[in-house]
Amino acid sequence: MSDTSSLQELIEEFSEIDDAMERLELLMDFADEVDELTLDEWSDENLVRGCQSQAHIVVENRDGLVYTRAAADAKIVQGLMGVLSVVMNGKSPSFVLSLTPQFAIDMGILNSLTPSRSNGFRTMFDMIQSEVKEKF
Amino acid sequence: MPGDLMPIRDDFPILQREVNGRSLIYFDNAATTQKPKVVIDAMTDYYQSMNANVHRAVHTLAGESTEAYESCRSNLREWFSAEKVIFTSGTTEAINLAAHAWGKHNLNRGDVILLTEMEHHSDIVPWQMLSREIGVELRYVPVAEDHTLDMELLKASMEDVKLVCFVHTSNVLGARNPVEEIVGISKKHGAKVLIDAAQAVPHDRIDFASMNIDFLACSAHKMCGPTGIGCLLVSPETFLEMEPFMGGGDMIETVTLEGSTYQKNEHKFEAGTPKIAEAVGWDAAINWLSKIDLQSEHERLLEMARYTANRLRSIPGMTVFGQHADGDSAVVSFIHDKVHPEDMARLLDARGIALRTGHHCAQPLMEKLGVSGTLRASFYLYNTQEEVETMLSTIENIVERFS
Repeated sequence: MSDTSSLQELIEEFSEIDDAMERLELLMDFADEVDELTLDEWSDENLVRGCQSQAHIVVENRDGLVYTRAAADAKIVQGLMGVLSVVMNGKSPSFVLSLTPQFAIDMGILNSLTPSRSNGFRTMFDMIQSEVKEKF
Repeated sequence: MPGDLMPIRDDFPILQREVNGRSLIYFDNAATTQKPKVVIDAMTDYYQSMNANVHRAVHTLAGESTEAYESCRSNLREWFSAEKVIFTSGTTEAINLAAHAWGKHNLNRGDVILLTEMEHHSDIVPWQMLSREIGVELRYVPVAEDHTLDMELLKASMEDVKLVCFVHTSNVLGARNPVEEIVGISKKHGAKVLIDAAQAVPHDRIDFASMNIDFLACSAHKMCGPTGIGCLLVSPETFLEMEPFMGGGDMIETVTLEGSTYQKNEHKFEAGTPKIAEAVGWDAAINWLSKIDLQSEHERLLEMARYTANRLRSIPGMTVFGQHADGDSAVVSFIHDKVHPEDMARLLDARGIALRTGHHCAQPLMEKLGVSGTLRASFYLYNTQEEVETMLSTIENIVERFS
């Protein structure tokens, strides 16, 4: 299965749910998909700035492929991290850099992608891409 | 919500919309209130029928737009009982204006500005910037255990204080500070007083002249007016001590290559083309509000806040902040020990219910409360008990399902 088709499947899985609360419930289930940072790994360096919850994320280069490890105190935020993990982990840096955050809107889990102090997802997304540029 | 149960709701077109398939329940009024149709129509009509720059040209449109713009100022003078009304972009700019136009020219190294731990960032950061620039000292009155200002420490902190700046009504707790007492103490020590009234003007009829203060800052958008406009009320004596901090069009009297002279009235502090359509909208909002019995509405909304606070307190794991005493605004801040505020806010949004979450631009207060953020429900004129019931049962359901 191509990288793009798995993302497409994810978009369909979410967008097929009519009820917004059930969509968020599914998003919370994705919190378990995160390769979790332990509490003592939370640091200022990996803090997602501008996120309303406490959120941390690191990007690792494992044999030339992208892997993220992350954690957040808000379950929905960790769910967003889980979605990012499913979409990005084990993928090539070029694929990760080719993504835009639009898929979160298409999935019906976010209503805004503008970088702002309330948009942790956008901050996380930008943070991952910028670390990929640095580390690969 | 049927309009015939509460005719006022028909004045707000936005209340007809649905969010996530549910009727919108808007409880983020402390951030901004919704706009009645008369405000929207006034602004549209301004652009459709009289748009022109103000104070300059002699043609008909310019005359009409100047009259419309200045009509807002006259209306505000009457509404707030204030002689000097300087238009700004909002409360934040109004406080920055006071810091630059008065503070910079009348305070000296070693002078003290007294603030409180309850302040919005807008009433902290401008003073920190001024402190870095001219070396004034900032001193903060702590918030006591009961979430009110520690008045004993306030009294004990007055030495060398030249300016006291405090929030009339807290945007986080809804607490109305003992304004008259603080003003009395400040004046006894010869200090000027600035009040951040952003959260007060939607609920209280402010009578600036009788308050014996020097500055009051507020925004239109928290009282059914448009965003982008607010004002700084200034006492006539203090007005004479202010120097312009932005130069340019509209604020000048004469300009030569060697120098300029400035207007003597409020225009002196309103450089550049002002917010004309916004002033027209604010004017309409004041006219609309003047038909409402704000006192009885305030009592109704505060009762709703008390009811909400009590019901929330009965949910295991819930902490509710604030006392909801008489005079407080209808704001309920709360936090659950298992459901994160951001999760709760997004889940409520999934049911069409808009609440604010986060630190509410008051991080020092959050630190004092020992939390990184709260959820905040804030009620206004068009909110109903039925909406409150819907929110509470949704919260109960969320806590049961997700904690």
